[in-house]
Amino acid sequence: MRRPTQILAVALLLVMAACTSSEDAFPIDVRSSDDTCEVAPVTAPGGTLAFTVTNDGSAETEFYLYAADGTEIISEVEDIGPGLSRTMTLKADPGSYITACKPGMVGDGIRATFTVTDPG
Amino acid sequence: MFANYLIGLREGLEAALVVGILVAYLVRSDNRALLPRLWAGVGAAVAVSLLLGAVLTFGPRGLSFEAQEAIGGTLSIVAVGFVTWMIFWMARTARSLRGELEGRVDVAIGAGGWSLALVAVFAVGREGLETALFLWTATRATGSTVEPLIGAMFGLATAVALGILIYRGSVHLDLRRFFAITGGLLVIVAAGVLSYGIHDLQEAGILPGLNSLAFDVSETVPPGSWYGTLLKGTINFSARTTWLELLAWVAYVVPVLTIFIRTVRPARPRTSAVPVPAHSGS
Repeated sequence: MRRPTQILAVALLLVMAACTSSEDAFPIDVRSSDDTCEVAPVTAPGGTLAFTVTNDGSAETEFYLYAADGTEIISEVEDIGPGLSRTMTLKADPGSYITACKPGMVGDGIRATFTVTDPG
Repeated sequence: MFANYLIGLREGLEAALVVGILVAYLVRSDNRALLPRLWAGVGAAVAVSLLLGAVLTFGPRGLSFEAQEAIGGTLSIVAVGFVTWMIFWMARTARSLRGELEGRVDVAIGAGGWSLALVAVFAVGREGLETALFLWTATRATGSTVEPLIGAMFGLATAVALGILIYRGSVHLDLRRFFAITGGLLVIVAAGVLSYGIHDLQEAGILPGLNSLAFDVSETVPPGSWYGTLLKGTINFSARTTWLELLAWVAYVVPVLTIFIRTVRPARPRTSAVPVPAHSGS
């Protein structure tokens, strides 16, 4: 039993080292339905952001934050079934971003721009 | 509720499949004594996943996206290594069946027993954390609605039931067919896990090429449909497959399947019929 236990312990440490803290995070509310994606607010100060994504639709959804080019994934959260909400926490530098909900996990998603400002 | 059911099914299916085949293998090779080790591996993976998932869901700290993808990708590739080892281990057993058409297989597993437990650990643990995060999220939602949790649990239960069916179905096959079918199935499953791992690493930006797609059939096979779910859950079929994923899949399947078939297939000219001396002419 020693080997599996050691491997699991190492995995545990690695996971703990890779965590992000959601304390003092700037909260952003995302409501994803089968055909809408409401992000509020659409501007946030640079630093730790916490997007709480709630699925109001009937299909499974995903939420992405892309760089301004719309292809590079900055962060994502998956497996959001109907009725569930999941929080995605990340550190964001000031700049322009693109948010996307993907109800049904297909296509480019419902996209909108998102701005991170210089923290005042 | 149905969408949550499908998520539970998708997350649990592949692990149930691999564990079902492992159990069938141990039973067929008269190594029932090793079953507790296998279940210990499964139990450890489930427990650690649930524990980590709870800490990350209810604690003040979450997992960064890069970390989650890097963990998913790395565990997938490690899991492929273990499943590949298992495939060839089974293939060697199959070869030892030569000339012994209906006999029992007595294989001394010895030190391989713990490696086998590790196969179970990685088969379950690979998607374990993701599944646990989903389950705890559904549990947290029970204040307002219990439907997601019920759906998710039914989905996981269906996956386990299908794993039991795989076990029941394969355990009665004649031995040669048993090894050929389960081994072949595992090659396809492992190749899918490999390209899934590649995809995770592409999403995390560790590997390039996330947006150069080899094909996109998400119109025909929607990932949210029941058949899309079954294909994703068993062989990790992705409706939007990148070139790098496809390349990794082919680069795995072609050599592994070739070597597997060569190992399993009895050398017909020499051992097709046991009582006839193979070198009668010389």
